[in-house]
Amino acid sequence: MSYSEKVIDHYNNPRNVGSLAKDDTAVGTGLVGAPECGDVMKLQVRVNPETGVIDDAKFKTFGCGSAIASSSLATEWLKGKTLEQALEIKNVDIVQELSLPPVKIHCSVLAEDAIKAAIADYKRKQQDGQ
Amino acid sequence: MSSEARTLTLQSCRHCGAGAPAQVHFCPQCDRILTLARHGDYFSFFGLPRKLTIDLADLEQRFRALSRQFHPDYFYNASTPERLASLERSSYLNDAFRVLEQPLDRAEYLLKVEGLPGVGRHQDAKELPAGVLEEVFALNEELDDIRAAREAGATPDQLMARLDAARRPVEERAARQEAQLEALFSRWDRQVDEESPPDVRRATLESLRGLIQERSYIANLIAAVNRERGKS
Repeated sequence: MSYSEKVIDHYNNPRNVGSLAKDDTAVGTGLVGAPECGDVMKLQVRVNPETGVIDDAKFKTFGCGSAIASSSLATEWLKGKTLEQALEIKNVDIVQELSLPPVKIHCSVLAEDAIKAAIADYKRKQQDGQ
Repeated sequence: MSSEARTLTLQSCRHCGAGAPAQVHFCPQCDRILTLARHGDYFSFFGLPRKLTIDLADLEQRFRALSRQFHPDYFYNASTPERLASLERSSYLNDAFRVLEQPLDRAEYLLKVEGLPGVGRHQDAKELPAGVLEEVFALNEELDDIRAAREAGATPDQLMARLDAARRPVEERAARQEAQLEALFSRWDRQVDEESPPDVRRATLESLRGLIQERSYIANLIAAVNRERGKS
């Protein structure tokens, strides 16, 4: 199986690798894993409290090229989106954009799960803060 | 449906039409080998209850006995359906033995036949015991750092010391998981013996599924650490 050019590009030049302050109330962290391959993916969003728009997103993924590319792409797409828009990102969008083969679809699912987990964490923090 | 009800599922002999219980391999009436039914499972194929603790010597004995009975050589002159049945039963027997002889494969198989598949599905960190994914993530980061240190010219001794330190907590967790696995195996077997209610048994299977998933992360990590040790 060969990777598509877009996967290779994200793999070689991953966007937004890194971490945001986990304890910052404006930051939501999603940590998800795929037991069958042992991949782990951490994805974080920082939400501008005034506009409700995601102004920064970071990820760090330990896994295959497709998992790295999926999370890299996800962070690119997240920036500038509201939480509602962010939740509309579906794994099939990632599959299409990266031309992932069927055996790698689970990597895109992992990225979608990570987005949801990060946003859920952010929302939980807002509720706890009230 | 209880396991007792399942073993009563009938198959029928294509030759004489007699009915036979699912776990029987030869027609009780005409003695011919039965076409493999789609019902039944690896446990019942061996005439075993759906329990997780298996005496391997006993399993192997059953395997050898059945291998002989099904052996295609004995069906050389038999009718086409019988020759096919001997091939099908031989091949099913091999699959069944390979799965049942390995405790983890056996457990995953049990989950599947009990209707709890999905050992491979994704999970949120919250579905795993506190800190497992965090620990996996942190150790992966440490491995990255160790690789960077190697490229920066760290000595093999320094790298080994870091790798050993990284490996220790993971191996401790792996040992705890083994103990938990054993405990769950016994709990399930006891619940089968006592015919515990379905929801009680299901809870045990759910714990088992969680533990198997947790274990696969740790096994992958230990493999990754050992690969790094090989390079140092």
